[in-house]
Amino acid sequence: MAETKFREHHVDADGFTIRYLEAGDGAPLVHLHGAGGLRLTPAHELLARRFRVVAFEMPGFGTSPVNTRTESMPELASTMARAIDKLGLDTFNLMGTSFGGKTALWLALQQTGRVLALVLEAPAAIRQEGAAAPSGTPDEIARRLYAHPERVSAPPIDPALRAKAQPLVQRLLGPHRDADLEGRLQDLSTPTLVLFGTLDGVIVPAMGRIYKDLMPNCHLVFVYDAAHAISTDRPEAFSEVVSDFLERREAFVISRAETVIHP
Amino acid sequence: MKVSFFETVRYRASKPLPSEWPVPSGVYDPEAGSRAYRDMIERLEFVEDLGFDWVSVSEHHYSPRILTPSPIVSAAFLAAHLKKIKIALLGPIVPQSNPVRVAEEIAMLDTMAEGRLVVGLLRGTSNESLTYDLNPAESRERTDEGMELILKAWTEPQPFGWQGRHYRYRTVSIWPRPLQQPHPPTYSLGTSREACEFAARHHLGCGVSYGSFEGVGRATKYYREQCAQHGWQPSPEQIIYRANMLLADTDENAHETLRKLPGTAPFSMRPGVRDAMMTIDSRNIAGEARSPIVSGALPTTFIGSPDTVVDQVRRCRDVVGAGVIDISLHPPGSSDLEPLMRSLELFGKKVLPRIRDI
Repeated sequence: MAETKFREHHVDADGFTIRYLEAGDGAPLVHLHGAGGLRLTPAHELLARRFRVVAFEMPGFGTSPVNTRTESMPELASTMARAIDKLGLDTFNLMGTSFGGKTALWLALQQTGRVLALVLEAPAAIRQEGAAAPSGTPDEIARRLYAHPERVSAPPIDPALRAKAQPLVQRLLGPHRDADLEGRLQDLSTPTLVLFGTLDGVIVPAMGRIYKDLMPNCHLVFVYDAAHAISTDRPEAFSEVVSDFLERREAFVISRAETVIHP
Repeated sequence: MKVSFFETVRYRASKPLPSEWPVPSGVYDPEAGSRAYRDMIERLEFVEDLGFDWVSVSEHHYSPRILTPSPIVSAAFLAAHLKKIKIALLGPIVPQSNPVRVAEEIAMLDTMAEGRLVVGLLRGTSNESLTYDLNPAESRERTDEGMELILKAWTEPQPFGWQGRHYRYRTVSIWPRPLQQPHPPTYSLGTSREACEFAARHHLGCGVSYGSFEGVGRATKYYREQCAQHGWQPSPEQIIYRANMLLADTDENAHETLRKLPGTAPFSMRPGVRDAMMTIDSRNIAGEARSPIVSGALPTTFIGSPDTVVDQVRRCRDVVGAGVIDISLHPPGSSDLEPLMRSLELFGKKVLPRIRDI
């Protein structure tokens, strides 16, 4: 299979110049990264075979200037919604990873009707008490994030860039249980898929059931033998269920697997 | 020490049986089979009256040696006929099962048996991978994943999907859930490093079988070390040791009986299959490689007079750390029921009361 080529672009929104990587055709799938910043995984490549994947680098992360302006998660979400407007996307699928999962939830709440389906990869919107983000050396961080650090092909995120975004993450992430957000989730009828790795050591997988408790149209999937960075630990398994969900939404529970051995 | 009786269903063949596994089912005698299950209930009522804590059943296929291909069906039948004794399902062969189905059936059984269920989950003996066309090279991975899925199905309150390596479900939400919460006492069976680590990681018991005390003791030691690494300590009852026992009035008589038993494994795979299996299947004791196929008869590690056996049980507790012995009195497959009933009675009267405090 030919390698999918992600191309770098920039878009201006709310006075920020926002970098994004894009590849693929098909229905648009916007991705909001975790607290470590934007980093392509094999799952992006796999998803780009079926979707037009737009992976943003949110202002303040990566090589973008320090963001001291954004005060709250809803504010970050509305900035990202403006960036999406600029790309001319009227309706789109939205995927948020960890920290970006909370941004994605706010964005879906603000843009009712525009988000066709929502995918939350190990979302950080609801966390166990005392949950701590991975920190330390790149090796220590990798051991917290991955069940299979040996499968990571991309170089680790520069610790200096990660550290630079930390004040923003601290400011925006909010408490482990965010009553304001949780109070609104019962009205969010967007088809939502929440994924947790069975080995997630950052946010315990049992948090997944709370989204199901709160949201009217939520599906929970455990990805076996994956830790917090599911899409890196098991990219094929991750993108298969995500693609199926985005294409069929609730109907993804109906199997299409063929079991004929010989005709 | 708690005591479990390993029920294998003693099928008494009306004519000589071929010695190769799988045993041609054409030689099966339905009358003999029917009698074997009737006798089983009679025997187990006696076992229950003697004060055994558990009766255990296993999963084996395509042979009359242990006539319980479906441990779930066995356990359901026993649960309906026996009133007090716990029923140990040791266990479903996980890699060739539908794990969700296993979770459901165990939950159902535990509820119907009013919480009398004990569960052991395992990979199964080497030959069993032929039964349902399972690749032996994948069986370890399927076992670990299947066991984890069973635990999840018992405990997760919301419908969930499972995106596994070997199993995929889009939605799971079992009814009923087990009566014993969060689930029945559960053991990861086997001497392998993987089985011990799984048990330690998930706070399950560990079950070992048929080796010498020292041999299986290496596995239980490794299990306890792994539990310590995960910050907990198993109780004695979380270690089961399954073994053959030959009990007689004197040591001499017990050894005389052993001498008369065939020294070969009954119903073995044909050599070409066995040799090929040896190259594909891999097994270990606490990480140290062992042959996937036991040649010869399974050892009898409890043997002698009641006094001798009591001493052996004490040594088993010290060396293996087991708090439950799961015994096959007189070797499984033996269709000679008279000596079995005599040893049972002897065990109940002369051994059982003296090993309670061990």
